Amino acid sequence: MNGTPHVLNRILIGILGLKLLAIGILFVLLATVPAVASWWRSWSTGVWEHAKFLSEQTRIPGREESWLWVAALVVLIVLIVLMVAWVSQQGKGRANLIVSDYDDRRTPGDVRIGGNLAEQALRAALADRPDLAGVTVATYEVRGRPGLRIRVQPRQGVSPHTLAADVSRLVEALDVVVGRRTPVLIHIGAGARARFSKAERVR
Amino acid sequence: MSHLQTPHPHSSHAHAGDPQTSDGQHPGNQAPETPEGGHPIDAGLRRILKRETRSSRAGMAGLAAVLVIAACVYALLESALRAIGQPPWLIDPQTAAERLIALPEGISPLLLGSLGGVVAMVGLIFFLNAVLPGRKSRHLLEDPRAGVVVDDEVIASALARAARTAANVTQEQVMVVVSQRQVVVNVRPTSGVPVPEERILAAVESELQKMAPSPMPAVRVNVATSGVIGA
Repeated sequence: MNGTPHVLNRILIGILGLKLLAIGILFVLLATVPAVASWWRSWSTGVWEHAKFLSEQTRIPGREESWLWVAALVVLIVLIVLMVAWVSQQGKGRANLIVSDYDDRRTPGDVRIGGNLAEQALRAALADRPDLAGVTVATYEVRGRPGLRIRVQPRQGVSPHTLAADVSRLVEALDVVVGRRTPVLIHIGAGARARFSKAERVR
Repeated sequence: MSHLQTPHPHSSHAHAGDPQTSDGQHPGNQAPETPEGGHPIDAGLRRILKRETRSSRAGMAGLAAVLVIAACVYALLESALRAIGQPPWLIDPQTAAERLIALPEGISPLLLGSLGGVVAMVGLIFFLNAVLPGRKSRHLLEDPRAGVVVDDEVIASALARAARTAANVTQEQVMVVVSQRQVVVNVRPTSGVPVPEERILAAVESELQKMAPSPMPAVRVNVATSGVIGA
């Protein structure tokens, strides 16, 4: 439900994986096959000579360092920044408002309803159920629209469909209170708390 | 793992007997000022559900980013040390490049080969993680209002309860494994007490029909040949 970039993750992980795989296979081949070793010698020496030639050409006037070094440093720094940006994309998307553009024409100004309202109302409604080991409610932004994610952890043996129907009824009641239908995801999950808790006997 | 023969028809795939009892009052109709109907929500919800049943690979992404950052920071450090004329920390870039060119020499082939093997293995793990579908062990339930995702473990424990009440055994004697398309119910009977296999199957299937997870798995019941004493 959060805004983790699934496709980007797959692409970048795939690229890194392919590169590491290629390097590893090259190392193994270098260690085992003599023909590959001689090819590698000639090829990499050529590349190295070319790099040396380039760095001779690109000398900073008045100094003996090439500006390629500076360029390489910049590239490395940019790469680090990009990686940090990529990590910060994971799991983003929490929102604060469940209704942000409520326009009922009678009220001057606009009405905003915080996600805490829905979170606390649902949590309070589910709090005294003996068949639940835990409830978390969070507001997320999905494609610019707020949505609710309700995660319930039933104890062992609870039928998920009756639980889902109960939670869904609560959500419909919430719809009436809020006056908007937001997308809702109910995740009935098993966590450590549910796993080690006793089975619900009286039901 | 010897499975007893359990000839039974695969549970039908259709959600025909959908027991969704949407009770009469639908606040969606009465709710004031809901200009958008069900459609934009449904479209968004379908996307959410599709994303929820797939792995986001956030952990792998973090690991990959940390690896790349570490390599970059190290390269930065060494080039900076060289740029300001300090002695290198581990190896300076030029010597590193020269060593790399002369590669089969200067290092024992065993070490080089095993190093390559480890690197290739790590790369393969990353690559497969990116390419494989990465389905999470979850099922979807139908609901008139919300999207519902259920972990397979929850389904398994609900089915285990149905099987255990039908078989009249204790909780420890029933083990249920739920996968994407199959439910396997393993029952170890109490010694001397016959276990009604048909009743277990019927109970589990009726619970599953009421639940109506999609994709609908087929049920198989295994009754162990050895019993449990003192249960």
